[in-house]
Amino acid sequence: MERRDFLKSTALAAATLAASRLAYGQERAAVAPSGAERKGSGLSWQKAPCRFCGTGCHVQVGVEGGKVVAIAGDQQAEVNKGLLCMKGYHVGLALYGGDRLTQPLLRKGDKQVPISWEEAINIIARRILQDPKGFGLYGSGQWTIPEGYAATKLVKGGLGSHQIDANARLCMSSAVTGFLATYGVDEPAGCYDDLDTCDVLIMWGNNPAEMHPVLFSRVIDRRSRGEKVTLIDIGTRKTRTSTFCDHVLRFKPNTDLAIACGIAHLLVENGTWNREFVEAHCAFRAPSEPATLQGKAISFEEYRKLLAPYTPAHVEQLSGVSQKDLRMLAELFGRKELRITSLWCMGVNQHTRGTAMNSLLHGLHLLSGHFGRPGDAPTSLTGQPSACGTVREVGTLAQALPGGRSVTSAEHRQQMEELWNLPAGRISDKIGYHAVQMWERFSTPKEKGGDIHTLWVQVTNPAQTLPNRHKLVDPSRTLPDKFLIVSDAYPTATTRIADLVLPSAMWVEKNGMVGNSERRTQQWFKMVNPPGQARDDAWQLIAVAHRLFELGFEGMKDREGRFLFEVKKDGRPVPIWDFARYYDVNVDAHLFEEYRKSTRLKHKDLAPYEEYVKARGLRWPVVQQPDGSWRETRFRFAEFDDPYVAKGRGIQFYHSTSHDDRAQIWFAPYEPPPESPDGEFPFWLCTGRVIEHWHSGTMTMRIPQLQHAMPQAYVELNRADARRLGVGNGDQVTVETRRGSLDLPVWVGGRGEPPEGSLFVPFFDERLLINMLTLDEYDPFSKQPDYKKCAARVRRREAREAKG
Amino acid sequence: MPISSLVLTLEGSAEQRAAVLATLARDTRITVGEPQAGRWLPVVTDTATLEEGASLAESLRELPGVQLLDVVLVDFSEGAR
Ligand code: SF4
Repeated sequence: MERRDFLKSTALAAATLAASRLAYGQERAAVAPSGAERKGSGLSWQKAPCRFCGTGCHVQVGVEGGKVVAIAGDQQAEVNKGLLCMKGYHVGLALYGGDRLTQPLLRKGDKQVPISWEEAINIIARRILQDPKGFGLYGSGQWTIPEGYAATKLVKGGLGSHQIDANARLCMSSAVTGFLATYGVDEPAGCYDDLDTCDVLIMWGNNPAEMHPVLFSRVIDRRSRGEKVTLIDIGTRKTRTSTFCDHVLRFKPNTDLAIACGIAHLLVENGTWNREFVEAHCAFRAPSEPATLQGKAISFEEYRKLLAPYTPAHVEQLSGVSQKDLRMLAELFGRKELRITSLWCMGVNQHTRGTAMNSLLHGLHLLSGHFGRPGDAPTSLTGQPSACGTVREVGTLAQALPGGRSVTSAEHRQQMEELWNLPAGRISDKIGYHAVQMWERFSTPKEKGGDIHTLWVQVTNPAQTLPNRHKLVDPSRTLPDKFLIVSDAYPTATTRIADLVLPSAMWVEKNGMVGNSERRTQQWFKMVNPPGQARDDAWQLIAVAHRLFELGFEGMKDREGRFLFEVKKDGRPVPIWDFARYYDVNVDAHLFEEYRKSTRLKHKDLAPYEEYVKARGLRWPVVQQPDGSWRETRFRFAEFDDPYVAKGRGIQFYHSTSHDDRAQIWFAPYEPPPESPDGEFPFWLCTGRVIEHWHSGTMTMRIPQLQHAMPQAYVELNRADARRLGVGNGDQVTVETRRGSLDLPVWVGGRGEPPEGSLFVPFFDERLLINMLTLDEYDPFSKQPDYKKCAARVRRREAREAKG
Repeated sequence: MPISSLVLTLEGSAEQRAAVLATLARDTRITVGEPQAGRWLPVVTDTATLEEGASLAESLRELPGVQLLDVVLVDFSEGAR
């Protein structure tokens, strides 16, 4: 058979298999062809999670001649069952943009000139030695688990500070505080299986058709098979998701809290709340003075009184959602026989009241008892592939320690000092700066309190993604004592302004592990070499640590004076700081095995590394069985599946903040946003993503198919507003806020449409930086900024002006 | 010459499905497999460039009678980079 015919027949077999799965559900599907069976075509195939979003699909990566040449959906993956979205099936091309960074670059004047790795590592070590506490590390939910763990150990265990934070602060930290406030422990109780069994799916400010497309099609496929699933979109603009929904509810920005309170009010007043569930498993909470994440305990009667003002008429007036729709939602939540899953993501999290709104959503499910059965789940989705696995679980945040530990707990610090074999007291009790503060301090002169002198950025592009860049990023570039180091695979808005640029290996150019939105930890092996001198991010961190060790820096030594990142093979240390020797051992496996010892405290148990090699990911807690096998957990806190629930308890919230196995049902009032439209800035401005591009477009804008499909940013306008402004598709307008202005082409009647008086601009395009305009106000608990609403104005650019 | 495997989910009505099948049959770049349960259609596209593959997939997505399009595999080993 010709190679081409072989490829075509393989392709048809793969499509037929996937079609059969869609038609008959996964049980009827044939066994997916494994990597070994597909050999013989000249390609070798191996599994890896997709590089892009937090859905966590698995792909099969076809490698030939040292290059990735084909991508297939992984038929054995439970998450995606062989299917991929348009980003996923182009993921292999993310490695082959024409302008990969291939050597370290140091700024000299207005140029960045090549230097050796040796020199680059020395420069970083010297910057740290100058003042270790003023050195910050800013990472990402795209750090692999071992990378994030190495970064955490370097800063928290080695430098004795907590000046480490991650871009996930900008996307999901309000989800974390919402989980902590409600259950005392982070991350969803349910999983994607809920999508296969729910009767009602409510999407709160969420657009999974574009942001988690494979998950969304999992639900749409159920409908196509004739199952009844009611889809409800509660959001501030029409999206691709809205077009599939049975009910589309539009609310005025920031009033989602009023809607949640309004539903709770109706459940209580109509007597349709689940008294039995609540009395057995829940308690009530309200905000305290001063405000704390735990708030204050209240009685049911107090809760009822606090909800009393949220009558349908009042909520309709605040939110714009009709009383009829509010009653419809309350009626659904009040029906015990239904299975209801709520999904949310950035719309709820990027919110100055994000923690409160997260808590209210959990509260609705708890109050109505829609919890703990497959299909009954409040589920927050994450955007990034390892926002959960790395940032939340490893704890690459200024207030966190690995395994759900907290910097402020002496016991937790002592546990980590034991695990890392550090002298007592090495780990500081002082919380570091969260993302916005860290960048603010970096952009402030030293004499005015700007005590961060050096920032090292890995796997993220903050010059494009931080809010209000004029304030948080740009000032640092003119201050003499500030030094910006950026590790990346491609030139970005951040590398371009950096003092030192380090070329990074990406995705299957290195070993990796990530954790997706449903607690699923995934693993892959290096398959191809990175270009030029690009190197693994974990190696970069370890090489700097070792240089500090060589220079005698005490922080890089354990109690016995050994190097903090010592890895042994056959009883002898391997010099993994020498890149030529880095793959003599599996450093990822070593880091992971050390890290996993920290995961039991909060019952987030991880299995040995080898178990992840065999699986397409496993959902924690992964607990060893009497026969030696390892069993994952799909539904936490529910006796039928969670091994940590005591026998006979049914439901048990075993990390309860009230220490009585109860979850907290919160009341949180609606409050107006920090900035609202007014006479001067009459529009709402919302920002977000599009299906074609991953975050700041560093990878996807270099994939021609995706770049052609969505070549540049735009501003979505409502037709009526466009008519009033006298503009149509493609016309240039200027969007202005109190922080900056940007010229953008207009898109009217496209895939999304904001209501009158609202604008939407995606943030993927580095030539059109919308984050020059966004607000840097943040949630008081999570410190997550609000990218979804600020006041703006828009004006037509005259042809003459547009040309200029 | 990139090859892609796609699955089209067709609308319920028999006429619409027949119209989709007729359109696909006219395009020499497309090979159609055995429909599963009448509505889930495996399709392979063979195009000169990845761009053409992507735009063909997009046009199939927009075809009246096609409810959803899922991509299963993309091979870009020959002449695509
Ligand atoms: S849904 Fe996300 S993880 Fe899945 S293929 Fe698309 S980008 Fe990749």
